[in-house]
Amino acid sequence: MLALRLLWRNWRSGEVKLLAAALLLAVAVVSGIAIFTDRLQHTLVQESNALLGADKVVRGSHPHDPVWEEEAARAGLRHTTATHFASMIYAGEHMHLASVKAVGEGYPLRGQLETSTTAFATRPDQIDIAAGIPAPGEAWADSRLLPLLHLQLGDRVAVGEYELRITRVLIREPDSGNPFSFMGARLLMNEADLPLTQVVQPGSRVQYQWLLAGDTAAVDNFAAMLETRFDAHQQLVDIGSNQRGLGRTLNTGQRFLLLAAVIGVLLAGVALALAARQFANRHVDQVALLKSLGTGSGRIRRLYFTQLMVLALVASLAGLLVGELLQRTVAAALLQAYQIRLDGPTLYPYLISLASGIICLLFFALPALWFLPYVPPMKILRRELAVNGLQLWLQVALAFLAVLILVLLFSQDLPLALSVIGALTGVFAITGLLAFGLLRLSQRLAGGAGSVWRLAVANLQRRREQTLVQIVVFATAIMLLLSLTIIRTSLLDDWQAQLPEDAPNHFLVNIPPHEVDAIQKLIETRHYQHQPLYPMVRGRLTHINGVELSATSVAREGVFNREANLTWTDTLADDNQVVDGAWWPEWQSQHGLPGVSVEAEMAEQAGLKPGDWLTFSLGGLSLEAEIASLRTLDWRSMRPNFFFIFAPGTLDDYSPTYITSLHLPAADKVFINDLLRTYPAILVIELDRIIGQIRTIVNQVSNGVQLVLWLTLAGGCLVLLAAVTSSIEARKQEIGLLRALGSPRRLMLGSVWLEFSMLGLLAGIIAVLGAEILLAGLQYWVLETPIKPHVLYWFAGPLLSAGLIGVLGVLSCRSAVNTPPAIVLREAG
Amino acid sequence: MSSAPMVVANGLVKTVTTYEGALTILDDISLEVAAGESLAIVGASGSGKSTLLGILAGLDLPSQGSVSLNGHLLTSLDEEGRAKVRAENVGFIFQSFQLLPGLTALENVLLPLELHGASNARNAAADFLGRVGLSQRLHHYPQQLSGGEQQRVAIARAFASHPRVLFADEPTGNLDSTTGGRIIELLFELNRELGTTLVLITHEERLAQRCLRRIELAGGRLVEAHS
Repeated sequence: MLALRLLWRNWRSGEVKLLAAALLLAVAVVSGIAIFTDRLQHTLVQESNALLGADKVVRGSHPHDPVWEEEAARAGLRHTTATHFASMIYAGEHMHLASVKAVGEGYPLRGQLETSTTAFATRPDQIDIAAGIPAPGEAWADSRLLPLLHLQLGDRVAVGEYELRITRVLIREPDSGNPFSFMGARLLMNEADLPLTQVVQPGSRVQYQWLLAGDTAAVDNFAAMLETRFDAHQQLVDIGSNQRGLGRTLNTGQRFLLLAAVIGVLLAGVALALAARQFANRHVDQVALLKSLGTGSGRIRRLYFTQLMVLALVASLAGLLVGELLQRTVAAALLQAYQIRLDGPTLYPYLISLASGIICLLFFALPALWFLPYVPPMKILRRELAVNGLQLWLQVALAFLAVLILVLLFSQDLPLALSVIGALTGVFAITGLLAFGLLRLSQRLAGGAGSVWRLAVANLQRRREQTLVQIVVFATAIMLLLSLTIIRTSLLDDWQAQLPEDAPNHFLVNIPPHEVDAIQKLIETRHYQHQPLYPMVRGRLTHINGVELSATSVAREGVFNREANLTWTDTLADDNQVVDGAWWPEWQSQHGLPGVSVEAEMAEQAGLKPGDWLTFSLGGLSLEAEIASLRTLDWRSMRPNFFFIFAPGTLDDYSPTYITSLHLPAADKVFINDLLRTYPAILVIELDRIIGQIRTIVNQVSNGVQLVLWLTLAGGCLVLLAAVTSSIEARKQEIGLLRALGSPRRLMLGSVWLEFSMLGLLAGIIAVLGAEILLAGLQYWVLETPIKPHVLYWFAGPLLSAGLIGVLGVLSCRSAVNTPPAIVLREAG
Repeated sequence: MSSAPMVVANGLVKTVTTYEGALTILDDISLEVAAGESLAIVGASGSGKSTLLGILAGLDLPSQGSVSLNGHLLTSLDEEGRAKVRAENVGFIFQSFQLLPGLTALENVLLPLELHGASNARNAAADFLGRVGLSQRLHHYPQQLSGGEQQRVAIARAFASHPRVLFADEPTGNLDSTTGGRIIELLFELNRELGTTLVLITHEERLAQRCLRRIELAGGRLVEAHS
């Protein structure tokens, strides 16, 4: 086939290599990121689901419909049940209000149960992963239940009307953060024994869970179908609704990766457009010749289109291979460094990568080549004939359209796509204007300078249009690279700052008021970092401005649908910030009610504002309060945080317990055991594993970010190279001519170096300015991090840019300067 | 001289619009070139020779007048139609050779044959390169060849597809006298051998004299015609 033969010849002569490299890079960047992110996401969801014990859970105050089980089995899903309730359990004369969980076969569907024969076991060799659940007639008990009830393994406890034998100590279990677990020490039993206890009666407070796990899509579909059949007492729970901090870190990380992928593709796209332009210019003569030989426009279009598509296919497949190898390398590094095994990818990222290759080709390369079939055949005789290419603005508009499509393809997030496009448009306009102004300034400054300077500036001026295009391209590339480097650094710093080494990793809950002083003293003598002890009362929001909550649109949303922890304090924690209303004592009530400060996001969800009045039910008692302020807070801080904070004294009559968080070094884990032996009423929530998990995620995402940064840097260098080489042909001829006229080699190299360095410097200055604008936009709208200037880069950016582009220029022109002028002229001619 | 006309031009006018208004490049030119005939178009730089050659070959259209080539009325055809006529009838030789730099000598000659879908194209191309004395240079790139050798490749390329008319734009313009002489010999030898009609532009008296007929252009007008 002629097109393939022509492609092979073009390849051999090096004319399509830059084009292929740009395309390969675009696909490699996209596929590397897309496949990695896909695997990361699946792995994280699996890991997170282990905390829940399932992929999704149907929670309700009555059991699920048994008919659903058959349907779940038909959909290929695994399922089991867990029933939570609080019950007074007895061992001899001792009793305790325990948090009982009766589970069905197969529990948990995700994650595992860790048990031991030793209470408070911490050493790995003492802990076993349970192969199943307690056998009928047996139960596994929380460590603290043993001292509480003076029990040994093998002893019996009475749950209602039935006695169970304690056979193991339960060390860790999924779903330990369930509000029902806050009530007392855990007792895990087999569901088959539940009727025998006769504890669960009509009207008992019981939470029924139906757990589901399986293929992600199947679970999602099934859950979506189920939700339509729920009654008012049932809800669907997944990890997204439970783990807010984790979700946010992951989300920011993924947004960064996505942004980097888009920047990478954009850079590769610019390189592609430049390479295509160069290719098209070189092929004007070839097309004119083909036309003189009798080839029609249609055939020329087909010939070039076929060449381009074959090239795109081969380069995209090669890019996919490179991307696959890259993400495998990172995954292997993760496995080695953190023992994290990523799940296999789905087909979607591969398809999306190939699609991006095609989109890049159609929108970046094709417009530059569009005019080729329209080259007039007379061009072969009259070389001065003008050829009308596609208007530059149209090419830029098409490129912008491509960026929009790509961002939407990846994120399905229109605001993100529009903010990238908006920032780029602004930056392009400013870059163009500034480049023009700076060019004029350099001309004025060079007036009194030496010959090397004058020659360099004269060259810049003479090729003003080309120079402007080059400055815009250099500036855009450097701007994007700078932005990405800065975002990456600040993102990693931000994550590190959120989870410092001494971040609280244990919550102490349920501290009775009379033990507060003793516990505070104990923590202080151990010198552990800790938060204040907050009083806490559990209560449910029942009315908003006198309207019953069940009549509002948010009745079934998150926190509105369950009991919340209420507290009071006079000092605001430093990660809390009042955004509306006033904090006490400045606050004045309008209705003569006690004040409450409400978390801002929740307030927004329910349309709450200062001055609204809320009614709470606290253990059957009703409390009315007026909203004094709205508050933002940092859920990632691992400190006790509250949706509702009351004015001091408001909850004094509601018998509070206390809560605090502290940082326990890994080596001091045994402190928990000492604490619980002395104060068995306290519930300890161990967050060290979740924090470890968040660190793991941060590490995973950071690794991805690092990889992506290198890929985009490669893209940036390719753009610079493409932009430098695009002017080399014309430059070679000039250099040959000037050398023939006796210009010394040093003058030539000096002027080339100066010319490119000046270009680099101008581009660098503009790039820094553009990067600050872009960063401000991205930080404000996309990453939601504070906007701040990056002074170091104001100096480093232009200098690095001048150095890099100066060197690239000299390297590209060196052969022309070193080769005898006659040969240079002959080759260029 | 054969009697059937291969190229017929009637009342050709070519005007272009410039910043300073309309400029007439060709003014009322009529001529005929018989099949197998050789015609030299001479004239000073800027006299309109290249424009005339382009129009006669169907590369461009006149502003007024008509051209027919081997019986096809070029001025009534669209670009695709003219391309078809060129493909079937026309070959070119250019002053600056117009060899594609990324292709070897053989591939340059092969190109028109491949475009026309000729069978056994590779052998035919190699054969033609042999006839112009370049059988040892088949796999050399244009950059590795001298000016004379490059023009021989161009001649081989032009004749390889057996055109009925060969248009040559100053074929010896970039060559020294001796090399130019050899190129002229080669051109006419193949012209004779294959019975091709030859229309060429030249400044070189030696070349013009080898043609059966010559016309001279001045300021876009036909001022002299010799047989």
